[in-house]
Amino acid sequence: MKQLITLNINNQNYDVIVTPMDLLVDVIRKAIGLTGTKKGCGQGDCGACTVLIDGQPKLSCLTLAITCADKKIITIEGIANEDGTLHPIQDAFLDHGAVQCGFCTPGMILSAKALIDRNPNPSQKEIKTAISGNTCRCTGYINIVSAIESYANLVAEKGAK
Amino acid sequence: MNILSNFQYHAPKTKAEVLDLLADIGDKSKMLAGGTDLVIMLKEKMIQTENVINIADVKELSGIKFTDNGVEIGACTTISEIENSKELVEKYGALVYAASQLGSYQVRTMATIGGNISHSSPCGETPAPLSALNATVVIESKRGERTVKPEDFILGNRQNILEKDEMVTKFIIPEPVAHSAATYGNIGLRNAMEIDAVNMAVNIELEDDKKTIKSAKLIMGSVAPKPIVSEGVPSLLVGKELNDELIEKVGEAAMSEATPISDVRASAEYRKDVVGALARRLTKEAYNKAMEA
Repeated sequence: MKQLITLNINNQNYDVIVTPMDLLVDVIRKAIGLTGTKKGCGQGDCGACTVLIDGQPKLSCLTLAITCADKKIITIEGIANEDGTLHPIQDAFLDHGAVQCGFCTPGMILSAKALIDRNPNPSQKEIKTAISGNTCRCTGYINIVSAIESYANLVAEKGAK
Repeated sequence: MNILSNFQYHAPKTKAEVLDLLADIGDKSKMLAGGTDLVIMLKEKMIQTENVINIADVKELSGIKFTDNGVEIGACTTISEIENSKELVEKYGALVYAASQLGSYQVRTMATIGGNISHSSPCGETPAPLSALNATVVIESKRGERTVKPEDFILGNRQNILEKDEMVTKFIIPEPVAHSAATYGNIGLRNAMEIDAVNMAVNIELEDDKKTIKSAKLIMGSVAPKPIVSEGVPSLLVGKELNDELIEKVGEAAMSEATPISDVRASAEYRKDVVGALARRLTKEAYNKAMEA
């Protein structure tokens, strides 16, 4: 039943032994040890487990790891620049106080990055729609939306991504 | 450590391989595409299966292809591909809008249009607009191909006409006829990640005078174990011009045909009121759009 597969996470290959029943979120957190991806509801409702698979935000708690063998996965650990400085969207979240307990933040940032990648100039409504599958129980969302707006403005000005 | 019970995993690469597998082990298998329904049901032990057949990466089964007579949408096309399709919006806007109302964006990048109808939930978002747009569901097995209307596909709550060796492979939607328009609407507890209390799609076709109704279709979801196609609304509308009095009657007719239940999402009484409101609103919108089409 167990199989050796290669997962490409944050542009690095990881050989992992999985069963078909293993969920991507568990493999990322337990087998690989990247614990930035959070496991919240486990039902696809809260969005804390969001990762980018081939550029699209997806729920790692509803994804079988074995289905991702030939795909490119980006987790929150893969967002910062290679020299360790933060990605501008991470800076925007810090600058706007868009983080409180932090549990929703990785998923929130990945959903927001995917939004700006597909729609660099979103309206506030489009931002709210894009993060409507990411539940935050601390902030009331206002600072999160402001952070995403400021990142979108930065992308528009400087072409930063 | 596994939450999921044991199953064998199959990842066929072509449609032919999928149909072979279904012929062999279809009675002991579940199909996996987006997984947004299946994986939850496996986790919750609502179902158990010996085999999971992953069809998400079978290229022949996905994509939006325009033809001389309309458009073909592969079963494994994701809801977000439909939502983001600039080509679909103009003529098939009711489906695009319904797609944008399903789950959250993450759910939509995973969930597929074939999965949405095959799951056959009474509250699925896409069956009603597919019906309103006169879509055909293409079902294939090793034995051959057959086609049905979306409204004849779902038999009841999570029940449909698929045999164990069959699968939905695509939807064929004809080019909308002249002076016609379809609309979609849904009401739930919130805008995202909700399960609809009521959803509804309407299609109105006008005569060449762009006033007289030639044909009408109204389909409502989440108000019975399967989508209901109204009989009363077309008989009220055909041959007439829409006016306020008629719109009121459309609402009453739709309400009289809905047989909703009370559950955690809404009471039966509220659902009936919503049916009336949506029927009035969507009929008016479709009529006005058809006058411009």
